[in-house]
Amino acid sequence: MKTLRLGIFVLAALAQLSVPAMMAWGRMQTLSHGRVWKFKTAPIDPEDAVRGRYVMLRFDAEDKYRQPEQLKSADSIYAILKEGADGFAEIDHLSSSPTPADSAMKVEPGGFWDEQQRVVFPFRYFWETEKNAPAAEAAYRENSRRGKENAFVTVRVRNGDAALEQLYIDDKPLTEYLRAQATKK
Amino acid sequence: MPGTINRRAVRWLRGQLPELVAAGAISTENAAAIERHYGSVESGGNFGFVILATVGAALVGAGIILLIAHNWDDLSRAARTVMAFIPLLTALALIAFVLMRRDESRPWREAVALFDFAAVATAMSLISQTYQIQGSFAEFVRVWLLLCIPIVYALRAGVGAAVYVIGLIVWLSAREMAFFVRTPNPMFFWFLFLLAVPYFLIRYLENRNSRETAALAIVMTIVLVFGLGFTADFAKSDLGGVAFAGLLTAIYLCGMKLFPRTDGRLHSVTLLGGIGIGVTAIILSFESSWHMAREVFWGPRTAGANAALALEFLFPIIAIGLAVFDILRRRFQFSLVAALFPIVTAIIWGVANLCAIPDAQHLNVTNCSFAAAALMNCYALWLGIDILTRGIRSNSAARANFGLLLIAAVAISRFFDSELSFVTRGLGFIVVGAGFLIANILMFKKRTTAAT
Repeated sequence: MKTLRLGIFVLAALAQLSVPAMMAWGRMQTLSHGRVWKFKTAPIDPEDAVRGRYVMLRFDAEDKYRQPEQLKSADSIYAILKEGADGFAEIDHLSSSPTPADSAMKVEPGGFWDEQQRVVFPFRYFWETEKNAPAAEAAYRENSRRGKENAFVTVRVRNGDAALEQLYIDDKPLTEYLRAQATKK
Repeated sequence: MPGTINRRAVRWLRGQLPELVAAGAISTENAAAIERHYGSVESGGNFGFVILATVGAALVGAGIILLIAHNWDDLSRAARTVMAFIPLLTALALIAFVLMRRDESRPWREAVALFDFAAVATAMSLISQTYQIQGSFAEFVRVWLLLCIPIVYALRAGVGAAVYVIGLIVWLSAREMAFFVRTPNPMFFWFLFLLAVPYFLIRYLENRNSRETAALAIVMTIVLVFGLGFTADFAKSDLGGVAFAGLLTAIYLCGMKLFPRTDGRLHSVTLLGGIGIGVTAIILSFESSWHMAREVFWGPRTAGANAALALEFLFPIIAIGLAVFDILRRRFQFSLVAALFPIVTAIIWGVANLCAIPDAQHLNVTNCSFAAAALMNCYALWLGIDILTRGIRSNSAARANFGLLLIAAVAISRFFDSELSFVTRGLGFIVVGAGFLIANILMFKKRTTAAT
């Protein structure tokens, strides 16, 4: 009986270690080998008890994309990205396969109304430390309002996986921007 | 100090027993008697310690989560990744230590299990934060629960098992909150719930009278009720009342069967089932419970929705099966009226649906709602009277008063429900109050006579 329990423990230990390890490994690959895309952001921040705090993001490219055909939630859907004239990413079209590998990003079907299908990006939260989160959110909101759209994120894309890399405000990475703002005061 | 035991000394003494027997210093019977003596002392005395150790481990775990999540700005991604694994590796090392060296100590097992649960959550949330991995809270809880359940078996951790099944409710609620329009398919709950059932059975077969078995049975029963609520909501079949009647009756009958008591009292599970039957009967005695909502399932019915519908039928069938099995063997002690609850509810459901008027569907009202509610009122009264008489017969004041409470609840609900005059309502209250007094006086007299 004890051998059985030891066996269960060994398997459980392997699973407990490998799940977070796999989560990290997949992202490390995308972050080091994926193509960089810039997404212009559009504004909000609730709190998540378990994961510290985050800045909630909205994206221009996500808001603008519409198509007349309705999508079913069961399918795997990839947004094939293209670079717009301003250097920011836009959705060119949707596809059921993740090719080309450096510009296909898995998305979820959003709402369908007014005969228009929306899509939802796989990243919505930019995790921040508890200390920085309120300042980060204020800075993001300040730089994402109409007339002063000064925030974007970089995302690495590889084989359908999209890894949120950095939130830029005023062309500076968030932490750097917050530090600069703090020294200014 | 008498009664105080040096556990280290006890452990040493118990370790010495085989040698003492081998040397002929004491007999095998003596050794067994010493073993029994300290065995019972250890298992009886450490329940408080189990609770303290478990709470301690939970607090340490929560503290670590807060400390790590609070501030680690200046660390690189790689350093954060390594840090995320430190509590988990510590927890796993502790489990290995407990399994090898402290396997007989329940406080150690429970505390380390909870510490591991917290460490898994910490590792997953820190990796998510570091690599900006998105995903809902519900998904996070589901993976966490699946990773934790084997540890319950490995460490025989009852508190861990209770945390796991309560986690299932957190998971269901988190999903419900994340979906605003559609009710998410809750069928995976049943799979996750089944994963904990063998553990309960092991505990039950080992010692059905232990506090751990009873506590786990109660927690699992409550979680089942929640699970069925989410399932009925998802099935959108208007059969929720019948399903609940079936589940609560099955709980009542299982309590009677699995936890029989010789002292005439009822086990907590039986009580929970019984109270559940009473409360549900009262809820179903309102006419509004029988306004068949006819909620429409969005799109074609899915396999998940059909499975949910099948589950709604499963519990009444189990309940009826359990009751019939015992009745045929003529060895039943349960209240027949209570056991009839699912059948009565099913019949009343049929009555409520008998005269559904298609034109009135948008009002969610059938012409038979009133008839259905009236029938349920009669049943609730019958149940109250039955419990009352059983209470008086078995000299149980609690049961008799519960029966009365049920009758009173039916009366009070109708006072608020209907447009009776104040005089009638007042008279009704007096009758119910007098009923309470008379039943209790009767019981008191019976007890005094029995005592003298």
